[in-house]
Formats: sequence, C-alpha cells, structure tokens
Amino acid sequence: MVIVGGGIIGCSVAFELAKRGRRDVLVIEQGYLTSGATGRCGAGIRQQWGSVLNAALAVESTQIFENLEEHTGYEGDCGLNQGGYLLVAYTQKEWEQFQRNLDVQHSVGVDSYAVDLEGIKGIVPHINTDGMLGACFCAKDGHADPFHCTYAYARGAQRMGVDIETYTQVLGFEVDGGRISSVKTDKGNVGANVVLNCAGNRAAQMAALVGDELPIAPERHQILITEPVAHIMSPMVMSFHRHFYVQQTPHGSVIMGIGDPSEPVGCNVRSSWQFLEHCAWLVTQTLPAFRNLRVVRQWAGSYDMSPDRNPIISEAGGAEGFFTIAGFSGHGFMVAPRTAILVANHLTGLEDSLDIKRFSASRYKEGELLLEPSVV
Amino acid sequence: MRIKEHPVLSFERGGKISFYFNGQEIEAYPTETIAAALHAAGVRKLGESPELHRPRGLFCAIGNCSSCFMIVDGEPNMRICVMKVRPGIRVEEQKGKGVIKT
Repeated sequence: MVIVGGGIIGCSVAFELAKRGRRDVLVIEQGYLTSGATGRCGAGIRQQWGSVLNAALAVESTQIFENLEEHTGYEGDCGLNQGGYLLVAYTQKEWEQFQRNLDVQHSVGVDSYAVDLEGIKGIVPHINTDGMLGACFCAKDGHADPFHCTYAYARGAQRMGVDIETYTQVLGFEVDGGRISSVKTDKGNVGANVVLNCAGNRAAQMAALVGDELPIAPERHQILITEPVAHIMSPMVMSFHRHFYVQQTPHGSVIMGIGDPSEPVGCNVRSSWQFLEHCAWLVTQTLPAFRNLRVVRQWAGSYDMSPDRNPIISEAGGAEGFFTIAGFSGHGFMVAPRTAILVANHLTGLEDSLDIKRFSASRYKEGELLLEPSVV
Repeated sequence: MRIKEHPVLSFERGGKISFYFNGQEIEAYPTETIAAALHAAGVRKLGESPELHRPRGLFCAIGNCSSCFMIVDGEPNMRICVMKVRPGIRVEEQKGKGVIKT
C-alpha cells in the first residue's frame, strides 16, 4: 500500500492503518514531512462547524488531539492549547447562521454557546465590539503544533513498520486490468494494489495520472506572526464576514491570517506586501491592542479547495484501489485524527459510525453537496 | 564613557538634557541613543533572558536583536539602541515579555 503525501493526512492515515494491522505501507513525500500545507497552516482546532459531518469529525478529532501523545506513543509535546474559539458576527445573516450552527453543534455534543457584546468583552476584554452583533464561543477549541502532531503520527507509524520515503517524487501510476498495480517514482517503481492520494493541493494532479478528474484547486492563504508579548488573549478570534483569524501562541507571538475572496486559483505560495498591509489594518480594527506589534515573519500556504469546501474521500472510477483523501479546504489539520480513523476503518473492513460515502466525489454529480457555511 | 576625540569623526553633541532610568535622573546629549546614554552612565545590564532570567547587555546595537528591549514612556519592547534620547522620557528596565497597553 502506498500513501502519496507526508502531511498530517498521509501520516495520520498511515498510523491508523498500521494500528489496524496494515503495516505494508509506504509513505512517499516529495519534500520533508509537513513541507506542504500542514507545516504552513494556522493550526487551529475548531469544533464550531455548520454541518453535522464537519462538527462530528472535529469533535472526535479534538478528543484525540487531547491525548495525541498517548494515542501515538510520542515523547514530545504536541503543543495543544485549548483557549477556545471566539467567532464574532458582524452581519444579521451571519448571526442567524450562528444560531443554526449552534443547533448542529449541540446535536453532536459540541459545548458551544452564544454570547452578547458584554460576554465577548468578558472573554477578550480589549476587543473592539463596534459593529458586532454577538459571538459564539467554545472553550474546548484551540490550536496545536502541526509539526509535532505530524511527527507523532509518523514516528508512531514507523515504529509499527511503516516506511517513509521523503524527497521522492511520484511520476505516475500503472493500472493493470482496471486496478492500480504500481507507483512510478524518481527513485524507481514500487508495487501497490492500494494507493492513497493524500497530496493536498496536488491531489487533483495525482488523480489525473490515473484518469480521475477531481474538482480540487489550490488557493493561496497568507499568514503573519509578530514578536512575542505577554499573554493578553486566550481564544482564537475569528470573523467570517471580515475573513480573518487571530490567535496568541503560548510563546506570546500573535499569528493572524486572512482569506482573500479575490485570490486566484494557483500554486503560488509567495508572500505579498499587500497582505501585510491589509491584514494588519483589518485585524487591528477589531483588536487595536496589537497595533504596535512588530511583524517578524510572514508566509503562505495552499488550501486544497473543493467546490463545497469539504473533503473528498473517494475511489477513482478507472483505477480500483486508488483513493483520494484531499480537498479539505483549509480545515484538514483539525479533522485529520478522526478522518484517518474513518479511512483506515474503511480500508480494513471495519465498521464506522460515520458514512464514508458521504465524502465521495460523486456528490458533485448527484447534487448532494456537503455545504459548509463557516470557512475562512 | 564617551569618545571625546576621534581621528575622523567630529561630535556635535548639543547641550545636555536629562531623562529618567528606573526613576533615576540621568544626563544625556540629545544626539545620542538611549543605549549610548545609559552606557555612558555606567549601566551595562539592559535586560534579562526571558526564560532563565540571565542578564543581557548591548548586543547588536543596530536594532536587530532583542537584547536591549526596554519600556519607554510605558511602551514595551522599545529598541533603545536605535532610539534617540528625548528630554524627560521615562525609561524602565523590562522584565520578561513586554506587556502591551490595551
């Protein structure tokens, strides 16, 4: 079995497969582990979703994140910090959506609730509530270290016999009688009757090599980080209307990013000064306390966007055994632990409480979209 | 200690002014940085390392490192090695990470 991609998805799936007895697994990564979107992500862990499937994936993933070191036998610290997520509403439409989202979240056991402006001030005293209607808060949301989390899974998988080849390029696949038979790489060919395409923003390219057309498109998202200062904000503050998210790390630095609705499709992950200026302006409108902080670094990563902003977990039509697990649209890290279990259960014939078929790419043809209203 | 004579450079220091360091009045020239004035006044320890709290002195002197962070008129994380002295400013040693005003 070959897994293409050494990010959080590839590594967590490898681990869960090995745990279920599938140890003949090879993970192929074109760079180093976490060198794609995982290592560039905002690393938030949010359970406040607007669709039942996402909320369910996130709730159970968070429970695993809470014990990830134990779950994987990792000696390091995965850096989980549960300071909560404060989702602020600026428009009536958004505020009404939040009320519906709360019902969805409560149905799967998310401990989230709505707060008024005073309640917002109680959670983040220095926030500027001008223009806000209210917010939703879940104290169990937070963030973790994407590098440590990925390595926890990777090392755990390796201990059980999984092989990981980094700096290896996948060039193509061989299909024999309608079934995947081998993977061609720049270091030689390797036989495989199952291939898991966890290549993130390159997943559509990989799938195209076996003739499978998938609607996954790369989209750049930029982030910046400031110098560290004493702790003044616990939760991730996020606005869908203004397209930003901000958190203060345990180290004291402030990480912030924005979603730019005019960002073109493409693999560009270069940084721009326009982002620096716009992001700083936008965020300090809401959080003026950060106005004098110096930016020490900025970078960009690539979301693997699907049409309904939800993952595609699907077997290719023309190549049996070729599965794509991608299209997470910017929330792959936070749902990876539970998604990996879902995929591993499916591949080892075990039952799962979630229906993997709901994630099939055929939903786009059948019009059964998994619309997620709440994404930055 | 200040260099008084230099083979190439000439100094136009201007008249003396004063500012406060940890509440104590210190004399300085308006053309020099806060770090230079403190150095001239014999202050060598400018800060502390954030975790082990070991003393830190002047290091890069060009505003790149974080060795000389101080609180200037209530504003933390000021790079005093590149910040000019102004009359009457209140400079304080910063312990740990800067506390920003909210």
